[in-house]
Amino acid sequence: MRVVRLLALPVLLVLAWWAVSGSSFYLPSPDRVGRAFAETWFSERLVLDVLPSVGRLLAGYVLAGLLGVGLGVLIGLSRRLRATLEPVLEFFRAIPPPVLVPLIMLLAGIDTPMKVLVIVSGCVWPILLNTVEGVRALDEVLSDTCRMYGVRGASRMRRFVLRGASPQIMAGLRQALSIGIILMVISEMFASSSGLGFTIVLFQRQFQIAEMWSGILLLGLLGLALSVLFRGVERRVLSWYYGSGAERA
Amino acid sequence: MLEISSLGKVYESRGRRVEAIGSITFGVGSGELVCVVGPSGCGKTTLLRCIAGLLPASAGEVRVAGVPVTGPPPNMAVVFQEYGRSLFPWMTVRENVELPLKEKRLPAGRRRELVGESLTAVGLIEAAEAHPWQLSGGMQQRVAIARAVAYEPQVLLMDEPFAAVDAQTRADLEDLILRLWRDLGVTTLFVTHDIDEAVYLGQRVIVLSSSPTTVMEDLKIDLPAERDQVATRSLPRFGELRGHVYRQIQRARGTR
Amino acid sequence: MTRTGSLGRLGYGLAGLGGLLVLMEAVPRLGLVDARFLPPASEILGTLAGQLVTPELWIALGETMRGWALGLALAFWAAVVLGVVIGIVPGLRGLTSSTVEFLRPIPSVALVPLATLLFGPSLGSTLMLVVYASFWQVLIQVLYGVAAVDSVAFDTARSYGLSAWSRVRHLVWPTALPYVMTGLRLAAAVAFILAVTAELVIGSPGLGAEIQVAQSSGAVPAVYALIVLAGLVGIGVNAAVRLLERRVLAWHPAVRSEVAA
Repeated sequence: MRVVRLLALPVLLVLAWWAVSGSSFYLPSPDRVGRAFAETWFSERLVLDVLPSVGRLLAGYVLAGLLGVGLGVLIGLSRRLRATLEPVLEFFRAIPPPVLVPLIMLLAGIDTPMKVLVIVSGCVWPILLNTVEGVRALDEVLSDTCRMYGVRGASRMRRFVLRGASPQIMAGLRQALSIGIILMVISEMFASSSGLGFTIVLFQRQFQIAEMWSGILLLGLLGLALSVLFRGVERRVLSWYYGSGAERA
Repeated sequence: MLEISSLGKVYESRGRRVEAIGSITFGVGSGELVCVVGPSGCGKTTLLRCIAGLLPASAGEVRVAGVPVTGPPPNMAVVFQEYGRSLFPWMTVRENVELPLKEKRLPAGRRRELVGESLTAVGLIEAAEAHPWQLSGGMQQRVAIARAVAYEPQVLLMDEPFAAVDAQTRADLEDLILRLWRDLGVTTLFVTHDIDEAVYLGQRVIVLSSSPTTVMEDLKIDLPAERDQVATRSLPRFGELRGHVYRQIQRARGTR
Repeated sequence: MTRTGSLGRLGYGLAGLGGLLVLMEAVPRLGLVDARFLPPASEILGTLAGQLVTPELWIALGETMRGWALGLALAFWAAVVLGVVIGIVPGLRGLTSSTVEFLRPIPSVALVPLATLLFGPSLGSTLMLVVYASFWQVLIQVLYGVAAVDSVAFDTARSYGLSAWSRVRHLVWPTALPYVMTGLRLAAAVAFILAVTAELVIGSPGLGAEIQVAQSSGAVPAVYALIVLAGLVGIGVNAAVRLLERRVLAWHPAVRSEVAA
């Protein structure tokens, strides 16, 4: 019954797709897209285009995470630093990240460093600002408790500051993940000779419509996989938070 | 063990100067249990935070075992009023109690021993692997008490620890404190706004005036050492002492 | 509340912004970074001021805002209507959940090639990307909002014979409104990002296309100036939606915290 409920609508949609697919040049039938998917992506492209793209995304994302959380904790712990930097940071966050692509191309060329830098520079702001907010909102009684019981230095950072701010940090990381995927794709669409974004645009230019659709499908699956992965990590890291019902308070 | 001499605290902000504590002097002998009561808003919590070294005093000083307090002293533990906020929600009960012991760099065996003993003493050994938010308010405050006890402090400070629990739980917790105090002989300063509680628990009761706070009276509680919720509270002497403190506090509020 | 009052905060904030400007002026002037790559702040702002008096810039800005507003409005109403229907028709939520969970994480930039084929560098491409991206933000929040309606209240309303329409009107909508506004706020920011992206990558007219042109013609100060402008517009968009949110929810008793989506 559960399976039926989960699959009924997707099956219906694919059938509908099948029914209308003949009518337009731009909409090949599902089986053609499926075949194109297998032929296109289960080949050396997986190693040459897909994996490097994902690798750059992860590298940029992890770097942005370290940078954002590190600086965020530093800024969040100092009231003056926070008051001084908040407007500047808000401004940087308000810049739509994709406009950084042409700028960073100017500065760092069109190779891997540029693409990673683009991802870092787009992902870091939501992480940074959310971390600042999380550290600012740390409970004062808990902070006093740490002082009273000699919890300080690295231990205080690990057991109190980072854990206490983790709900906001995770929220920032979640926002950053979707920005990271966008930047991965368009940094490759812009000026590149390899990568997922480049390949999909290439198919479009060469009117390989089924292949193009298979690329869109692959991007969708990638987005889905990353979001499922993220949710798994989040459930683990924040189990205490969901348990305590704090998110509804 | 604990000496507070001419302690004063003034809050200053942009042209406004609020004298929270005028001048407070009293002492707590080794192994004594002393209660502090005062009218609401008289700066009880400010006093406690100064004694704990969480807040710098503006005048005077606090000494613990002869050493002046400049920051939280290593031989002191505090039980805060806000039990819901003083336990780490991402740690289990056991981890909460064990954390200060880790910071003290006690060996694992000794830590296990202390955690086990203190959780048993507060009757929560079964809940060791639970998270604080799975427990009732009274139980959470027991965990905070267990954490303080396991820390093996020379001085234990309690800041209105039972202000936010129901009456039945409160009576149980009061007796728990008396038992622990008697078993461990730890010097205890208990801040409360509840006159009954102060007279019931204390060997002495310090009555504070309203802000700027001074000591109005340092009252010896000459009740039998063995206290009992029903028997002690129905003694005529208990009523006299309670009435006396009550009148003092009324007077303090009147002179405000 | 404490020592750093709101006036103090403002002072610190201005000092921070001033510091950024000084830094951006000094770094190229002192030759720490080649001024060809990072022009001094004064030159960037000068270029921006120069551009602000040209009609071209305002036309481009207008195009961007048109794509943003139209796309956001389309996505918003589609998501609200669909979300309410899915939320209140029994069983529909279970039927649609797998599809929603599959389609939602698809990055909207995946649609760039399709949009290019279907619409080319025009408003249509912008709208396609903007609508797809912002639709899910609103839909998810609407679903949360409708789910938050107390089932007792719902049964009460039914037992008093309220019609389906007045149940939606007087019970579902007011309960869901804070969530809807959260969705709108998130969607507005995403819509702006995607509007600029479509212009940048596909070449639909607007700010993004201007940046692309400036970059390929090597007009570095203009690239910076337009990015600063984009940031300012972004701040404006956020502020406007926040203001709207506060206005609409002024009567609401519960100030809702954001639902983790």
